[in-house]
Amino acid sequence: MSAEIAGAQVRGAALATELLSAGYQGRPVVQELSIRVDPGEVVSVVGPNGSGKSTLLKALIGVVQVLGGRVLWEGREVTNWSPDAAARAGVGYVPQVDDVFAPLTVKENLEMGGYLLPVREVPGRITHVLDVFPQLSRMLSRRAGRLSGGERKMLAMGRVLMLQPRAFVLDEPTANLAPALANMVLEDHIRQLSATGASVLIVEQRARAVLAISDRTYVMAGGRCQLEGTPAELIASPDFAETFLGGARRPAAPTGD
Amino acid sequence: MSLFLASVGFGLVTASVLAIAAVGFSVQFGVTDVINLAYGSVMIASAYVAYFVNQLGPGVSIWLAMLVAAVLGALLSLVINKYVYAPFQRRGMAPIGIVIVSLGMLLIIEYTIQAVQGTGNLSYTMSQGPTLTFAGLILSGVQLAIIGLSVVFMVGLHLLLRYTRFGKAMRATAADRTLARNCGIRTDRVVTLACLLTGALCGISGTTFAINLGSFGATSADLFLVMILAAVFLGGPGQPYGAMLGALVIGVITEVSAVFITADYKYVPAFVILLVILAVRPRGIFNAGAIG
Repeated sequence: MSAEIAGAQVRGAALATELLSAGYQGRPVVQELSIRVDPGEVVSVVGPNGSGKSTLLKALIGVVQVLGGRVLWEGREVTNWSPDAAARAGVGYVPQVDDVFAPLTVKENLEMGGYLLPVREVPGRITHVLDVFPQLSRMLSRRAGRLSGGERKMLAMGRVLMLQPRAFVLDEPTANLAPALANMVLEDHIRQLSATGASVLIVEQRARAVLAISDRTYVMAGGRCQLEGTPAELIASPDFAETFLGGARRPAAPTGD
Repeated sequence: MSLFLASVGFGLVTASVLAIAAVGFSVQFGVTDVINLAYGSVMIASAYVAYFVNQLGPGVSIWLAMLVAAVLGALLSLVINKYVYAPFQRRGMAPIGIVIVSLGMLLIIEYTIQAVQGTGNLSYTMSQGPTLTFAGLILSGVQLAIIGLSVVFMVGLHLLLRYTRFGKAMRATAADRTLARNCGIRTDRVVTLACLLTGALCGISGTTFAINLGSFGATSADLFLVMILAAVFLGGPGQPYGAMLGALVIGVITEVSAVFITADYKYVPAFVILLVILAVRPRGIFNAGAIG
């Protein structure tokens, strides 16, 4: 595939990858993956454990090394940029684990989220974030390490919201949450993030739940994209239904992510 | 009884020196993830530099020389971290490997000092100030100044860590460097500044240590390094408040025990405490593993 044709496929995308390969110690976990997230779109990536979903996100924001292909942000090539450059450019990333500064208070976590802002703008942004997640305002002086799983995830999202990013990159926000709480995170919180007009790229294991809030979904297995489509298209697809919505057969999972 | 009170006074002075050293050590560990055993040798190198500045002329105060020692401690700590430890860390060396590297650095610096200076001991030219007594404690003006200096540094560090943007960024970097970078914090700069800051504390603690000791040589801080480790592990590595408390406990116990056991063995209780702490609470009393 020539670079020109590949370029045309990502034109207008907020965040995109072209034939991206990425992994650890030179061994690709993600292989030749091309995805795109358009402005304002909620795009999800689903797949079994070890399919390379987290590695994809980490490569996008510069935590894991890109071994081949390109990463594009708002039409600009940013392959192997640094995580702080990604934050500066308007991409807010919430990792699956280690998503808050445990020894810091809730307020200090939000302040760190707003580290790039001029100091005088920080209190106003905190007020705004507390409007979005009002539960946090009761626990501002509590250490983040003492929060419950749901509160913690709310704080992690509030932290990235401080910079008003134009894209949210979320790695399994419902991991380790009880089902009811997971649904609340997906249906309420993710919707609140996308209501800011930002794009959302979300990785999830709860395929059925995340489909309900997605505009488009990629299905990953073995580090590659196996299927892609709107939720309606995927649900109609026999392959997808068999793999994710009740089927027992699971693709091989070569490496951890 | 007065011997006991006098030893408490000595203990407070030792604890003050130890607090400056241990807090610097602990914060440095929190941010860089290195158990930096070369810290003791950087203390002594700084004490030496203070000596040379002190000897420049009859009017050069040791307190002015201490500022120069702080600068040297800061620069030396930065160079060691940036050009020795960090490259090994980037290559994925295990923490225990880095500890061995830092032990090597300790010996290299100490023997370099010995090669230049010889094995003889040095003393600063300074006045001990008037002797003051209160509440049964007898302290010299210099000893009181060391206690005062230590309190100022502890309060200053507390304010820095709790209330300034840089201090919070330092705590965030210590807690989770990757997440700090996700926030847009340039963690390499934070690490650089933290090395300079803790290196300055190391330089100042080295000079106050030498003042308190009276005369010092290249290997004088070796036993003190174990006291620093005991104070740091007592409070939990990476915990500055823990290190302050640890320094107070270890410093006072060490000096007071000199009353009851032979002074030559006064360091033994600190070692015993260190072993007990490592056995019972390997992550320290404060137990969080990041600058809290």
